[in-house]
Amino acid sequence: MIEVGGWVCLLAPLAGAVAITLAGVRISRRTAGWISTLTTFLAFGGALVAFVGLWAADHGDREELSTAYTWLASGNFDVGFQILLDPLSSTMMLVVSGVGGLIVWYSMGYMHGDDEERRYFAYMSLFVFSMLLLVEAGNFLLLLVGWGLVGLASYLLIGFWHRKPEAVAAAKKAFVMNAIGDATFALACVLLIWQTGTLEFFGVFEQVDGIPSTMVTLIALGLLGGAVAKSAQLPLQTWLPDAMEGPTPVSALIHAATMVTAGVYLLVRAHPVFEAAPGVQHLAAGLGAATLLVAGAIALVQWDIKRVIAYSTMSQIGYMFMAAGIGAYGYAMFHLMTHAFFKALLFMSAGLVIHHLDGEQDIRRMGGLKEVMPRTHVAFLVGILALVGIPPFAGFWSKDGIISSALATGGAFGYTLYVAALVGALFTGMYAFRLYYTVFRGSQSEFAASHAHVGHGEGPLSMLLPVGVLTVLSTVGGLLVIPGVWQPFTDWIGETAEALVEPTTAQDYGTSAIAVTLGLVGLYLARRAFYADRQLVTSPGAWRVLEHKLYFDEAYDALFYRPAAALSVALRRNVEEPVVERSLDEIGAGTIQVGGEVGRIQSGLLRGYAVAVAFAVAVLIVVFVAVR
Amino acid sequence: MDGPDVGWYLIVAATLFGIGALGVMLRRSPLIVLLSLEIMLNAASLTLIAFARQQGNLDGQIFALAVMAVAAAEVAIGLGLIVAMARRRVPLDVDQASALRG
Repeated sequence: MIEVGGWVCLLAPLAGAVAITLAGVRISRRTAGWISTLTTFLAFGGALVAFVGLWAADHGDREELSTAYTWLASGNFDVGFQILLDPLSSTMMLVVSGVGGLIVWYSMGYMHGDDEERRYFAYMSLFVFSMLLLVEAGNFLLLLVGWGLVGLASYLLIGFWHRKPEAVAAAKKAFVMNAIGDATFALACVLLIWQTGTLEFFGVFEQVDGIPSTMVTLIALGLLGGAVAKSAQLPLQTWLPDAMEGPTPVSALIHAATMVTAGVYLLVRAHPVFEAAPGVQHLAAGLGAATLLVAGAIALVQWDIKRVIAYSTMSQIGYMFMAAGIGAYGYAMFHLMTHAFFKALLFMSAGLVIHHLDGEQDIRRMGGLKEVMPRTHVAFLVGILALVGIPPFAGFWSKDGIISSALATGGAFGYTLYVAALVGALFTGMYAFRLYYTVFRGSQSEFAASHAHVGHGEGPLSMLLPVGVLTVLSTVGGLLVIPGVWQPFTDWIGETAEALVEPTTAQDYGTSAIAVTLGLVGLYLARRAFYADRQLVTSPGAWRVLEHKLYFDEAYDALFYRPAAALSVALRRNVEEPVVERSLDEIGAGTIQVGGEVGRIQSGLLRGYAVAVAFAVAVLIVVFVAVR
Repeated sequence: MDGPDVGWYLIVAATLFGIGALGVMLRRSPLIVLLSLEIMLNAASLTLIAFARQQGNLDGQIFALAVMAVAAAEVAIGLGLIVAMARRRVPLDVDQASALRG
């Protein structure tokens, strides 16, 4: 049953994508939306079956490796088309298909009336399939296939509005940045084949202790490169904010809830490799901490409602990286799950706002939406509270677990991470409530008021229902781990990836007290700044630096783009034009000349040819006879 | 084995072949060129049959039958070309049909 559930979960969205593609315009847009939604929920059913089956199985027997067929075979090396179902992957399957289903459902309302809805839903189904392939893969190669496919789906969906030049540019940027990570990931796979002769997870993990330490460090670095690019961590983070050019449900599904967390999944999935290379694992934690600070700071000055949430996503994934880097795998996955709930909720309620305001995303033109959109207001507020980590909302339980794990790690490294994470919590409170106050509180802006008459309420039911479900999940989803009471979730993940560090209950609640206080300080600062009508960042210099996102784009432009462009121009001038093009011209002219000379032999006289043939035959006969 | 020695047949065939080859090389009328080609083909057939008889093996005779079939097809195309030339009032002279000159 477990295997059947796993395969149904994997293949249902693929069937949906194929069906919508093949049906084309023969089905209505609405039907396409329903096919996509229902197949994703069918996948959720399959994931549920697999999960329950694993749950019912005995401890230590919760691993099912199901191989459909041998996909590649070369000598002793072979790779199967196989799925691995264990606590880790079943959790991811539930999150991906569950949250995914809700978001696809929501899309039916959000995308209603778009010119190319069917294409959109085909892409969405393709994405859900790719993501499920990524999390269910039983070996590194299949994981890499899913990894590449989600990148493709992300590219297609960011650039979905292909008449918008910014969207196309953002799609290309995301693809190129991810290609860097894909390349390092692929190189790591090659090294793994060389060192262990297999790509199957269990086969690799068994042999990981036998790999020389330099080699295992390189492998872990390669995998980390892939994870960093996919999860938009420093220094490959610049694509994520631009990816907000895509439709909002895409941002919610791909760039908040699922795909960008794939890096965290990889860190947890391949934890034996990273544990064999502790330096790289600590690097992952350090990058996570750096990202959560940088992204949190940048979020303080953004004006686009979706970009603020995008930077918040980067920052929260920074927490997850930190957790995976110090070995708190259970909390990394726990935060991944609760983040999927409340970040999807934030994006979707932001989508309701954008929908209501006919596509406006600048928060300076919003304000006072609380009266107009009371239900959206509640949903958004729940998302914000969960994000900031106010008890009892979901983010409180997961984020504080990560921060206290940093404390439990101890040492200079652990304490540095601890402080960084706490400062990040303060930033989170500040940018989150800045966003909330600017959009929903205060007096209504003229722009918002001019849209108040639009009589379509807060949105169609297909948009409000998923938001409602996620509001509930963001409220209670964190109760799966209550330190000192019970912690089924981290125990569940621990069966796949045993935590290296376990905070004590005292550390947990002590940290929570500090983190919640800092979140509330953030709330106070944001509120005070809002009512005093000034910004959170008052120094103009700092503002400028943050507004330019720490000049990462400019630096990459100067470091990589300009030299490459200059080199190309120089090569064109000095090699292409004088050498390649000229030589081609000369080859052409020479051929014409030789052809002219040779053409004279071709007289067109039939009898001449006959004589030539007869003469040649005569010569040949003489030659043969003479040689004999 | 009855009949003349195989050498005589070869002499006849060589003579026929020479006549045909000269016809192809020297005559300008496409009709005669075609006719000469047929003579060359038949010379070749004759050698095949002569050797088949000498060896007591039927393969050569079957080969000759195949040559006849090919010759018939070739003549059909050749005559068709000549008729087309005549219809378009192209002069029936192989030296003047030299459009393929390089």
